[in-house]
Amino acid sequence: MKRIILPLIAIFFVGIVYAQQEDKPSKTQFMIRGYGSAGFQSLNDEGEKESSFNSGTFAPIILFKFSDKFMFETELEFAYENGELETALEYANVMYSLNDYMTIRAGKFLLPFGTFMERLHPSWINKLSSVPLGFGHDGIVPSSGVGVELRGAFDVYGSKFNYALYSTNGPKLNDGSMEPDEAGILHFDNYEDNNKNKSLGGRLGYLPFTDSSVELGFSFLNSKVGNSDSDYENVGAKLIAYDFTFIKKINPLGGIIDIRAQYNQSIVDDANYYEPDGLGGSEEYTFNNKSDSFYAQLSYKPTTSSSNFIKNLEFVGRYSELNTPEGAEWETNQNQTAFGINYWLSWRSAIKVNYQITDGTGGHGGGLIDKKQFTIQWAFGI
Amino acid sequence: MGIWYIIKKLKIMKTILTVIAIGLIGIVAISCSPERAALVEGKSGVQLWGETCMRCHSTPSPADFNDTDWSTIEMHMRVRANLTADESKKIFDFIKSAN
Ligand code: HEC
Repeated sequence: MKRIILPLIAIFFVGIVYAQQEDKPSKTQFMIRGYGSAGFQSLNDEGEKESSFNSGTFAPIILFKFSDKFMFETELEFAYENGELETALEYANVMYSLNDYMTIRAGKFLLPFGTFMERLHPSWINKLSSVPLGFGHDGIVPSSGVGVELRGAFDVYGSKFNYALYSTNGPKLNDGSMEPDEAGILHFDNYEDNNKNKSLGGRLGYLPFTDSSVELGFSFLNSKVGNSDSDYENVGAKLIAYDFTFIKKINPLGGIIDIRAQYNQSIVDDANYYEPDGLGGSEEYTFNNKSDSFYAQLSYKPTTSSSNFIKNLEFVGRYSELNTPEGAEWETNQNQTAFGINYWLSWRSAIKVNYQITDGTGGHGGGLIDKKQFTIQWAFGI
Repeated sequence: MGIWYIIKKLKIMKTILTVIAIGLIGIVAISCSPERAALVEGKSGVQLWGETCMRCHSTPSPADFNDTDWSTIEMHMRVRANLTADESKKIFDFIKSAN
């Protein structure tokens, strides 16, 4: 229900101030931006072929600045999938700048857990049409949370540091009582806390060079994840991530080299889960609940070319990996290689042509994974 | 897998972590110097605009938005991209002067 109410309140809120703006000019500023994508994909899943146009996604963003210190941002996401319109509230938060080094945010925000979800996932920023393994649906990386956060940046003798420290409702453990197949998985989208314990998380970023070409980041998120008053009350989880960014225009190479990588690890305390034995009873089991995922991406954009066509091209390669616990119902080991050529129509719009191969074992169907996917996506910001 | 195996593994981990830590402290020490601080302070808005805005997405040009919109974007990006106050002031002053 909150999923619907929050966006409605946001739109209502904006409506009022927008209406006021017409009467008399004020310092309040308001902007609707957003992005979307549409495309075509052809999938070869262990020899089974299918292809389709997908109507894609549209994500409007509303930015609302009350003063030089106070601002509201929200993003909704609409996706048309399997004949149904799905809506989601990506984020909705207010931020207040306390001083040059500290900004406080409250509401639902993208988590600075690594850099991919917070900075790179919008389709007009992501250089490939898919997200790396470990992110998104069935992922092990938290993307957003409801809570409060303090963040900021400062420089120390020419090197820059940035930090974020937050407390949110935190991840929730699926204890398998409703979905035995998912016993032990963490869910990250919690509007209501399932226990009294709030999570604590943060990220520290470090840019050693004066040209900001390199950033190293360390993130963590610690939380109790079990429902209170259940057997899982004391089950906790520790998540960490390391991220790396290198981006620089290198003249001898005739363009911009962009390298990104992120390693994520999730460790959930051991607990006992139950598997229905098909005879009305159940069998108890446990496993070492540790998952990790990794991606590295290299891209090159020949921006100094004299040809207008070549200048707007971009070449991308990405490797990613996901390993979930041995012995879990959702055990999987997958790796994925993706290649892409993009043509940039503007700074916020690109046609992406991608080819992606995923191999491994486990996953939803169980057994072997052997997927080859070709996609063309048009991503645009408005 | 005996206790020695575990101890050995822990020792290797410790060595690796120590090397990484020393390396990082080294980088921090080298990269934090008064000359470099002056270099950063002396950077112009246009220079910072060229280096900073491409870190996550392609760089928009000043002409893409009007001043009112730029000041909204200024706050949005300062918070989202963790720009320092000085960086963001210089960059957006340049952008607003050039559109
Ligand atoms: C650390 C990453 C990062 C850096 C550095 C960065 N941006 Fe952004 N920018 C983003 C993200 C992420 C979005 C998308 C926001 C969203 O969709 O929620 C964005 C969106 C935008 C938009 C679209 C409007 C809006 O506010 O959403 C503009 C314009 C923009 N950035 C300008 C800039 C400029 C100018 C700079 C240089 C000062 C810059 N950005 C630096 C991450 C970054």
